[in-house]
Amino acid sequence: MAITDTLIPAVDISDKQTVPVTLNGKNILICKANGEFYAVDNQCTHQRAELTGGRIRNCYLACPLHGVRFDLRTGQPLGELTRVPLKTYDVSLADNGNLQLELD
Amino acid sequence: MSELIKVKQQGEARCEGLSYQDLLDNETIEVPAYLREDTNPYMGDEDLSVDRWISRDFHELEKQKLWPKVWQMTCREEDIPEVGDHHVYEIVDQSIIVTRTGENEIKAFINSCLHRGRILRDCDGHAEEFVCPFHGATWDINGNFKGIPCKWDFSHLDQKDMSLPQVKVDTWGGFVFINFDENCQSLEDYLNPLPEHFSRFPLHDYYKGAHVQRVVQCNWKVGAEAFMESFHTLETHSEILTFTGDANSQYDTFGDHVSRSVTPMGVASPHMPEVTEEETMRDILELSGRMATDNAEGHAMPEGLTARSYIAETNREMFSELIGEPLDQATQSELEDAILYMLFPNTQVWIGYNGNIVYRFLPNGDDHNSCIFETMILMRYPKGTQKPEPAEKNILRPDQAFSEAPEIGGLGPVFDQDDSNMAAVQKGMIASRKGAVSLASYQESRIRHLHQTIDKYLNA
Repeated sequence: MAITDTLIPAVDISDKQTVPVTLNGKNILICKANGEFYAVDNQCTHQRAELTGGRIRNCYLACPLHGVRFDLRTGQPLGELTRVPLKTYDVSLADNGNLQLELD
Repeated sequence: MSELIKVKQQGEARCEGLSYQDLLDNETIEVPAYLREDTNPYMGDEDLSVDRWISRDFHELEKQKLWPKVWQMTCREEDIPEVGDHHVYEIVDQSIIVTRTGENEIKAFINSCLHRGRILRDCDGHAEEFVCPFHGATWDINGNFKGIPCKWDFSHLDQKDMSLPQVKVDTWGGFVFINFDENCQSLEDYLNPLPEHFSRFPLHDYYKGAHVQRVVQCNWKVGAEAFMESFHTLETHSEILTFTGDANSQYDTFGDHVSRSVTPMGVASPHMPEVTEEETMRDILELSGRMATDNAEGHAMPEGLTARSYIAETNREMFSELIGEPLDQATQSELEDAILYMLFPNTQVWIGYNGNIVYRFLPNGDDHNSCIFETMILMRYPKGTQKPEPAEKNILRPDQAFSEAPEIGGLGPVFDQDDSNMAAVQKGMIASRKGAVSLASYQESRIRHLHQTIDKYLNA
């Protein structure tokens, strides 16, 4: 288990915003929904489209390409386009105010 | 008052005890005209064949002649707040993308790609454009064709209208309605007199505080009818009789598309003459799920007051505080009675100042023996504050109880009792040798009204 500092101050991310980061070679999307931070693989499990800029509503992130919605808390998709969940990562706040992720 | 009240009423017999109109006579606030309407035109007493609920042929007729012609509620406007937001509405075997295309504009497209026919959107969501997931044919959110990969192979489409076909859309009370029929009457005419009756309740500004859905193993009409009469309270919900004037309910029909039931609350059932005002007050708070508080602790009946008055005034105070404006003009009836309207064919809406319940019963796809039962609860919020986001739909599994949905509170256990009848009615009608159902002349008149209107569509 590795904790990785993202270098992104939590205060820089507003609600419903998505911010892509590359950590250990992985493309990860940090999202803020209802005041909470979430991190998921930045790749839709339907057709591998990037999820950056996808619309967030409640706790759901919609893929900009065909609209698959993923529950940011669990990564589970809604609808019929894919049944494969998104990988999710635990997000915490470092002492310096940056977000940090727990990578495998 | 409307002309309708002068016509001959359904039967003469009424339950003994205080009628709803008697209770209105005790109001200290001026009673609005819509509550004084008392209209139940005579519609006959013949049995209805069970075929209406169990036969595939009847379902096919509805598919051909009912659903393509009626205005049907698809979603709330708040479900699609931003341009590009859409709701996929499915009715029997049809699919529609209800899309916000402007701040005050919503369009509804047939959800089928004009290339190979795949549905364009699989579920609710947001889109900058509609890209078919199969080959990539693309439309903007206004339905204009933007192209398809390998355009060199589609020059034969250049001369064709490639705009997405649309159906009619209109809104009322924050609900988005569609109609497949290009020549249908306006939604305004169709709804009459609903908007006038709801003029004290600005539903467009309420927010959806809860939305729960579950498949029920019965025809959609069996589901709807479970909420169209209070006669079943005595046997199905006997625990609420201490505060429910079940058999003293009033039933009204207005034209073809609207009916209502008004069940007095905060009064004991005429079947329970021994109940004290204290018991009525305590039980309505604990069990109804619709009052301003669901805890009777700390509430004591003041001397000389009726439970009906005490509960109404408690609701007035707490609802006023909640919405940040006085409810001086609200009658006690509006503050506590169960005043439930049906909009033909499958939507039901309660009036009220907070916590207005909405029911919808959709056929479960093309299956006539099951339906999708949905409940929304429309809530108020403090004046001057931002409208809360609508609740996500909670889709219960078929084996789950409604009481497993905490967001609907006391309604869950009541629905579970209704649920214990719905599938059983379907099963029993299939087994019936009589092959028909009989209806109470008055208390079940709204069910007859529903079927008479269905017949008008099927015979048109």
